[in-house]
Amino acid sequence: MLEKPPVIKPYRWHLGSIAWILHRITGLLLVFYLLLHIWVTHHVTEGPEGFNKVMSVVQQPIFLLLEIGLLVTVLYHAFNGLRIIIVEFADNGAGAHKTLFGIMMAIAGILFLVGGIPMFMHFLHVLNK
Amino acid sequence: MAEYVFKIFRYDPEKDETGRVQEYRIDVQPGWTVLDALNYIKWFVDGTLSYRRACRHGICGSCGMTINGKNGLACETQIKDLGTTVITVEPLRGFPVIKDLIVDMEPLYDKLYAIKPYLITKTPPPTDKERLQSPEDRAKLDGKYECILCGCCTSSCPTYWADKNFLGPNALLKAARFLFDSRDEGYEERVSVIDDKHGVWRCHTIFNCVEACPKELNPTQAIVDLRKLILRGKL
Repeated sequence: MLEKPPVIKPYRWHLGSIAWILHRITGLLLVFYLLLHIWVTHHVTEGPEGFNKVMSVVQQPIFLLLEIGLLVTVLYHAFNGLRIIIVEFADNGAGAHKTLFGIMMAIAGILFLVGGIPMFMHFLHVLNK
Repeated sequence: MAEYVFKIFRYDPEKDETGRVQEYRIDVQPGWTVLDALNYIKWFVDGTLSYRRACRHGICGSCGMTINGKNGLACETQIKDLGTTVITVEPLRGFPVIKDLIVDMEPLYDKLYAIKPYLITKTPPPTDKERLQSPEDRAKLDGKYECILCGCCTSSCPTYWADKNFLGPNALLKAARFLFDSRDEGYEERVSVIDDKHGVWRCHTIFNCVEACPKELNPTQAIVDLRKLILRGKL
């Protein structure tokens, strides 16, 4: 018997599996961000001068753009997480997981616009200074 | 008639070190399923091609395979619905391959036996004839009892690919079929098996099983219902 047969065609992706892999990826990105965040804020122990020095680095335009990416990451992870909680606890939640995904992403999309537009305007403002 | 290319996984344990792809170009008749095409290849092109089939009507669960990267029954998959003239046919992944498209289903059955897939009773029936069930209690089993054991769900599950000790959607759906049966009294026996890191808690709600099931059942719903049942039992 062949224990590990070679795969000819990768298994097909669909909404459920794409939502799952994105949840994993955004989860890892948030862990990375959290470590970075702790590293930045720990400079506060060096007094105002040390803290301002590191803050001036993370307030550069490129970081302002990355912050918009962070907003996307947080919103996706939070609202897909909420979808999974509903799937777990609501009656017939698993049967409605695709509809739930649509509702959750619509809310996340609105919140992205609410948060992302001011963030992008701030980025443009800093860029034109 | 139109010419289709079938890329079929081949493995002969007496000749091959590992699996390989063999291409067949055949004219497909309107209305053919993938099983019709495999039968044509076996009967008129290459008699060495091996695969399981029996009923041709989506009842026996013999012809589960991976068609264009998705699990399903060959007898229920209309070729024209695939929307392409290049069709890849592979054995169900996650299981050892015996020959060509035939896999060893024993790992699937082992998990099924583990959850004790039969009615367990401890008290005598209320009459000397049979254990009656109300239509409402019977309706609770809808979507749980129709499984035909084709293995498409467990074989599509990335969690099962990574953890061969995972009971898998098939066995857990069957566990739900008995645990939610009003006549069953085997809660302790079954929960001791499924309340495990390789049991209900292993599922990551990826929903591949739901997409794969040819009977349109929802094993993920059964798994989350079992989790709630276990949680309620612990509270």
